[in-house]
Order: sequence, then structure tokens, then C-alpha cells
Amino acid sequence: MLTELLQGTDAGGFLIIQDSASYSGRHLLKSFINAALHREEAVHVLGFEVSEEELKDGLIGASIHRLHFHNAYTDPLGWTHNPAFTVHQFCSEGVTQLVKQTSQSKPATLVIDSLSWILRHVGPPAVCKTLQQLRKGGAVRAIIGLLHADMHQRGTVGSVCHMATSVITVAPGMKGDEAVAKITKRSKSGKVMQDEEIFSFKEDFTVVVQNRPSQLGLKQTETEERETDPTANLTFNLRLSDTEREAKEKLALPFVFSKEKKTALLHSGRGSGRILYEPDANDDYDQEDPDDDLDV
Amino acid sequence: MFAELSSILNASPDSFTQGEFVLVSDRQSDASFLIHHFLSFYLRGDAVSQRLGVSLAQAKEKGQLVFLEGLKESLSVLIPQDTNTGSKAMDFLRDPAVGLKSLYEFPSSVSSSGSRAEGAEEWGPLVLLVDDLSVLLSLGVSVGAVLDFSHYCRATVCSELQGNVVMLARCDGEEEEGDGDDEGSETLLKGLTHQCSLTLHVQGLPTGFCRDIHGQVEVCWRRRQGDGQSTQKKLFQYKVHDKGASFFAPGTSSAVL
Repeated sequence: MLTELLQGTDAGGFLIIQDSASYSGRHLLKSFINAALHREEAVHVLGFEVSEEELKDGLIGASIHRLHFHNAYTDPLGWTHNPAFTVHQFCSEGVTQLVKQTSQSKPATLVIDSLSWILRHVGPPAVCKTLQQLRKGGAVRAIIGLLHADMHQRGTVGSVCHMATSVITVAPGMKGDEAVAKITKRSKSGKVMQDEEIFSFKEDFTVVVQNRPSQLGLKQTETEERETDPTANLTFNLRLSDTEREAKEKLALPFVFSKEKKTALLHSGRGSGRILYEPDANDDYDQEDPDDDLDV
Repeated sequence: MFAELSSILNASPDSFTQGEFVLVSDRQSDASFLIHHFLSFYLRGDAVSQRLGVSLAQAKEKGQLVFLEGLKESLSVLIPQDTNTGSKAMDFLRDPAVGLKSLYEFPSSVSSSGSRAEGAEEWGPLVLLVDDLSVLLSLGVSVGAVLDFSHYCRATVCSELQGNVVMLARCDGEEEEGDGDDEGSETLLKGLTHQCSLTLHVQGLPTGFCRDIHGQVEVCWRRRQGDGQSTQKKLFQYKVHDKGASFFAPGTSSAVL
């Protein structure tokens, strides 16, 4: 599924790469940028967290001119006198203007590095609103954002990811250069697909997906085993013949109060104890008047 | 300077990676000995001075070392006196909304003025050492403001001036997965880890106190190394003694072997 996402066929999509302090998702982000550049798309990067050199490091090729880096790294808060792009300019009008300035008629792919930076300064509702407006706006074909899940409260992460069409959560893998990606993809029909894959990177940021992790393999590929007969192959006999089965079903269980039991109790057989009852005057029970014996 | 640590980090005073943001952190331990390492590492310019040792007072006199005593300055802000001529660096204590912008302007003003003075020696690239960031949290600065400050330091010192930044951040508690539990120093540590290129995390031994091994250091390289690996981690144990500290692979302490 990771390879499919990298091929990026659906427009209007919003992909979030979630990472943590133990494993940075920026490499995967660069892979997505690389893939978009190879597809001859214009890519606009809002770079808050790393400098242009660092982001472009490793992304070589003729298509690098299609990558437009908007520098929000040197002065995101406007502390100097002429900031290039500040975090407060992150609104749908600001971003649309930025994208339209440098791009041709084709809608571009917008990459946000990172959403966490923006969320720290602009509240989640505003960020979600801007992202939604950008998706519907038409200037931007697809949005890819990097989010540091351990920097925010779970509610914030949840609300932003809820808007995404695909979420990839990366974590370190068992071996040194491998990583695990948990992917959730929501298609337009509403179907949700989930997958977990192990991947690693080649020198040019292409992603190599390994086989699925062994824990998942058992769940999916195991076929139903036929019920084995536990009474076969024993040195003693556990089976019942037909007459034995009938006798078993006829047997009255000791604590079940059936009709036979009732009659047996009420009409006790010869030789068993008999109960002799002489009604007392006080025990005179008048059917008509049940309160007859009350001395009122 | 601890020679063993320098070789672990593949660095020597003559050749070290520039534009690096190093995060030194500790959890219920004391990582300030690593700050001593970095201080003496960066102050040494050549092989001769390595043998002679480094004198901080001399370095300060020559202008190589500029010291901002944050706590002392903060006291002068909090308890103002008439003859107060302290720098504006700690002004954030007066007005928290401003953020740490004035504190950030201190290293940039030093870098622009210091090395241009007449007769001053040509120093190498600028190095900013912060000991320690967690004090800012206790002074009432928000985690977001501290992260912005470290971001700006990195943008100016590392990317623009190709210098290095070393920051110390400390944690007191156990590592928690608190939901909504906004433990300031934990969030600060995570945020700084995302920003940095090299972390050195000092912790006590998980098995307890030991006379010969004072703790463990986990070194984590977060940037792409030449061989294509993006993150590389190594664990060492250390012992601090009078003249420095020795680092060794776990289980190879001289007390054990």
C-alpha cells in the first residue's frame, strides 16, 4: 500500500506522515517529494523546520526546478524585519497566493514541513479550516504534511488526522535501517483500508518495501483447520452405539423436576413412608371465604 | 575534552561537522560533564593548546569565550536596582508574551560584533552552548517559547553562520505516556530531539547505583550519514573522574574485565 500511495494517483488527497522522536518521518516525506517530482508535478514546500539545503539534500535530478521551497525556516515568527513567510501567514488565501505566484496552470502538490510547527502557533481549528479550504480551493492538487505525533495532545493529532485521506505512522523497525509503517487509507467510497509494512530507503530516496511483518502473516494467510475428531485414535472407546445413545437420552437427571418425578413423589409406592393427614379445626379451609379462620 | 568521546563522535578539534545542533539531555542524572567536554573541545584551536590545556579565563579575556550568566542577569531583572546595567537578554522575564526574542538576539549580536574587532584573532565558526534550557522552564517561560528560541538559534548559528549549537536539557521524572499530561520538560525534550542532528542522552544505570560505572550515554545520530542510514544509535557506559571521563561499551568497564 505504501508503494501505491507513493504513486499518488488520487487528487484532492491529504496525506499525513506521523512520526515521533524515535524515528523521523522526514525521509519518507522526501521520498514522496521525489516521487511527485518524477511525475512531473510542481511541488511547493512550506519549510518551517529544516532549511532549503537540508531538504534538497539528496534530491538530485533534472526535475528539481519544479520544487519551490518557501522559506519559513529562517524567520517564522517575524523576529527580523523582513521575514519571507511567517506562520501567521498560513491561511488559505496566503498559501494559494504563494502557490499561484510560482506555479503554472496545473495544480501543485503542497508539502508542509511540518504541521506540528504550525499547530504550535496557530490553533487546531484554524489549521483544520485552512487545510479544508485548500483542499477544496483548487490551487492545490494534493497536500502532504509531516506531523510529530508526540508533540501534541492526542485530541489534536486525532482531529487533524481525521481530515486526512491517508495516514502513515512511522516507527523504528527491528533492524537498523528498516522502519515500520502503519498505513490507514480512506477511499472516496468511505472504505477504510489498513496495512502494516516494513520498508527501507535506497540512496536516492526510493522506498523498498520488505515483506509483511511476521506477526501479521499468521493472521491473514492461515486457513481454517478442519475439526479433528477427538474420539479417533484412542486406546479406549469413547463412542456410543445407537442403543447406548437411546438409553442415555431416556435417563432422568436427578435434579430435573419432570412429570414422572412429581407423580412418584405424590403417590408414594408401597413400603415407603406414608403421610397421614388429619385436618385440624383451624385448618378448615373454606374455598368461598379464605379468611374464614381469622378470629376477627 | 574527553578523547574517547571525541573519537566516538568522529570529531577532532581540527575537523568537526559544522552546522550541527547537538542536544545533551539527562534523566535523573547529571550531564553537565558533557558540557565541559564540548566547551573545551571547541575552545581548542590547535594541537599545541590541546597539550597545554584550556584556560577559560584566558579565553574570556581574548574574546574567544563570551559568557552570559543567565541566572545572575535574571536576578537583576527581578530585583531591579538603580545601577542596573544588565543586558537586555533577560527581558523576557518582564514581559513573557514577547518570547525569547531578546535572548536570541544576544548570540547574533555577539557574532556580528565580536570577530570584527581590530586586532582580534580570527576565531573559527561560532559555537553556542546553552547550560541549561530547563532553567528557562523554571523561570516561567513556556515550552513553545523555548522551542522557538532553539529553532531560531539553529537557523542563525547552524544554517546561516555554519556554526554549532550545543544545548543541555534536563528531565526529572520517568518517561511517561501521559495523555494530556503536559509535562513541560518531556515535551521540551521531544521537541528538541526533533530539531537536533545529534543527541547524547545520559541516564543512570537501569540496574542501580555503581561505584565504577556512573551511568550510560546513548548517542543518536539523526542526520543522514554517508552510508545511507538515517538514524544510528550507540550505547556507552561512562565513569567520571578527576581529569575527565572514560567511555566504554556496556560490560567492558575496567572494574568488570
